[in-house]
Amino acid sequence: MTTPEPLLALSGINTFYGQAQVHFDLSVTVGRGHIVCLLGGNASGKSTTMKIILGLVKPRSGDVTFDGASLLGLTTPQIVRRGIASVPEARRLFADMSVRENILMGAFVRNDRDAVAQDLDKMLTLFPKLGQRLSQRAGSLSGGEQQMVAMARALMSRPRMIVMDEPTMGLSPLYVDRVLELIRTINLDGVSVFMVEQNASLALEIAHEAYVLQTGRIVLSGPARALKDDPRVRDAYLGGSEAA
Amino acid sequence: MSSWLDYTINGLIVGNVYALVAVGLALIFGVSRLINFAQGSIYLVGAYIGWVAVVQLHTPLPLTIIVVAAAAALVGLVIERFGLRPLQNSVRIAPLLATIGISFVLDQLVMLTFSPNPRALPSQLPDVRFQVGGGTIGPLDLLIAGVGLTSALLLFVFLRYSKLGWAVRAASQDRDAAMQMGVDVNRVNQAVFGIAAALGGVSGMLVGMYYNQIDTAMSLQATLKGVVAEVVGGAGNVPGAVIGSLLLGLVESYGVAVFGTSYRNLFAFLLLVVVLVLRPNGLFASARQAPPEPLTGTFIAPSRPLRIPRWALLAAAAIFALLPLLPVSFYVLQTLINAWLLGMLALSLTLVAGTIGQVSLGHAALLAIGAYTSALLSLSAAVPVGLAIIAGGLMSAALGTILISPSFRLRGHYVSIATLAIGEIVSLVILNWESVTRGPIGISGIPPLSLFGYDLVSPASIYWFSFAVMVALALLQARLLGSHLGRSFRAIRDDDIAARAYGLSLNRYKSLAFIFGGFAAGVSGGIAAHLYSYINHETFNTQQSILALTVVILGGLGNVVGAVVGSVALVGLPELFRIAAEYRILIYGIVLLLLVRFRPQGLLGTI
Repeated sequence: MTTPEPLLALSGINTFYGQAQVHFDLSVTVGRGHIVCLLGGNASGKSTTMKIILGLVKPRSGDVTFDGASLLGLTTPQIVRRGIASVPEARRLFADMSVRENILMGAFVRNDRDAVAQDLDKMLTLFPKLGQRLSQRAGSLSGGEQQMVAMARALMSRPRMIVMDEPTMGLSPLYVDRVLELIRTINLDGVSVFMVEQNASLALEIAHEAYVLQTGRIVLSGPARALKDDPRVRDAYLGGSEAA
Repeated sequence: MSSWLDYTINGLIVGNVYALVAVGLALIFGVSRLINFAQGSIYLVGAYIGWVAVVQLHTPLPLTIIVVAAAAALVGLVIERFGLRPLQNSVRIAPLLATIGISFVLDQLVMLTFSPNPRALPSQLPDVRFQVGGGTIGPLDLLIAGVGLTSALLLFVFLRYSKLGWAVRAASQDRDAAMQMGVDVNRVNQAVFGIAAALGGVSGMLVGMYYNQIDTAMSLQATLKGVVAEVVGGAGNVPGAVIGSLLLGLVESYGVAVFGTSYRNLFAFLLLVVVLVLRPNGLFASARQAPPEPLTGTFIAPSRPLRIPRWALLAAAAIFALLPLLPVSFYVLQTLINAWLLGMLALSLTLVAGTIGQVSLGHAALLAIGAYTSALLSLSAAVPVGLAIIAGGLMSAALGTILISPSFRLRGHYVSIATLAIGEIVSLVILNWESVTRGPIGISGIPPLSLFGYDLVSPASIYWFSFAVMVALALLQARLLGSHLGRSFRAIRDDDIAARAYGLSLNRYKSLAFIFGGFAAGVSGGIAAHLYSYINHETFNTQQSILALTVVILGGLGNVVGAVVGSVALVGLPELFRIAAEYRILIYGIVLLLLVRFRPQGLLGTI
């Protein structure tokens, strides 16, 4: 597999929360049109990596470039306008707004109302279940349905890349499969995906490439297929029975 | 004799006015989780801009409304940009303290510009009343109702159909998620402050016209009423704020009908305390809803406190103790006596707000309880003054702790609101309980300070007495904080859930802090009563509570030496520079603002 020209590149990132160092010289690239996943256990620095891409946390050193231009120094809204959408951890819907309003909030950065309306229809074909739920409070949906809304919301900005923080967390097995399938569909439409996951076996199913993060350092990286068979990944993340 | 219908109409009209203030508070709380204590000051500014427009520029009414709304909105934008935006990454309670400082500054600026005397604000509307059923209604009532309904409608359309309105709603539900949708939260804040200020300003103008009188005391009252209405409706809930306001207006109006005008505010604050204690999320919050803010974090900036060597403290104490023997003027002694009295209050507050983290905004009530107890005992029961003062301290400790105890379950901002309300309630009870407190007349002819039968009349003896009492209280408190008890207090402040998990009983420790703090404050109030020889329900007011808070932040929260240093600095420096009395409050407000922004750990550091 050839690595395409990178769309997103984090290079030499060092991050601190107060005295504690979270990232040690972290470098990650996401190729154009690829699905890249960042694997790691609790407190490995996964979610902070997402926050750095979105400008919610500033690294002490290093650079983040998107399509060749640095994102450092930009505010989160500015970064979103560059074409990065997010599906945050635990979905973070606007609980008291309706499902329709939530999905439309995803198009906040756009001003083409007619095209937005068309995209809303498109989302309803992609996520047919949401059609009956449009006027319901987002907070009243089940976890899986909320994940669908969060993904639709992210797609509404017509992003070039979506970053997802543990998209399968807390979902029933049925929805886990559905979410992975959707991520693949989204990716086939040309959207690059960077996802952070704890569930390595699932993530490696759909990813092109993967990185393994351990207490702030990248310890392994490469094509997902290769990592999947790597005994070190198996031992650390997949557990004996699943890998067998 | 007015009919019930009249009281209902009056209640709804007043409720409408409160709603204009409360809706702004709710919008701001929704987006920033901040209770904007400067809202009443904007209301005050609105009233005075209205006065300038009507009385001096003779603008027609529609233009007056537009001018007031625009000017007030501008003030709101300035507050947001320069007062609050720099505090975005500070601890949660910093913006709240900043709005208190801003409120002081604005109120004083208005007072200095327009003098504290009340002014008439004519409504320019014909003075007719229409008969409606058994009551009457005038054109101004209709105007207020009209402005209220129009604003509510505009706000609804804005929140529901405009892009910025969506941003406001999204940001108030999940700030980070809204940013990830591309919402610029600073713009949202700006919008919200502008709208809140415009509504608040117009509200102030309408109230001025309703009573045909404006004065600078309106500010705090408006903030308090707005906060009551907002909390009753559920903090951050905009429709709730409207309903809460109408409810408050009606409760007050019927209360006045049954008990008389002086009870108006008492009902408002009792309603607040009851709602805070029983339904802290407001009347309309559903049970499943989590509290609208995590409510953790006090105003303790991490710092390494300055360790002052023991010999330096002893030397300073010796110098101050020997001061009356030196050829210093009566004026210097008097200033320092005031500093020592404030120091006792600051010791109390630094324990309560600093060490155990309950930021009290009603601490002057403890002074009042001590002062009234001591004054009444020595006057009516001929108790010797020394004993009466101690009794005042004990009464303050007991009553203060009992009054605050229902609020022990509250945290963060809500503690501040509850203490503010309780402070107001104490002052209103003193005003209304004439058979004991002599009501609005106050208590005069309070016997002078005396000890063991000797009257302390010379300035030097009063100085020594107050200094000795303060030093004794400070030593006791320092001893207390060095013990296991002090550590427990700080554990509760830093993480009450963890403290509880380790088996600390929050109620018991909070009680202990308020008992000790109440005693110190009560003794201070008692001494003050005998020193002033006259007190009334306004002698110990909210201004003093805020001054005490400024003192303890200046000294470093929780810092015993800091409380004393802060008192001497804030009482002494304005005297030293001979700053005229009317500018002092302004300076206190500015000091508070600067501290919150640049040195939250105070001069000596928090402990």
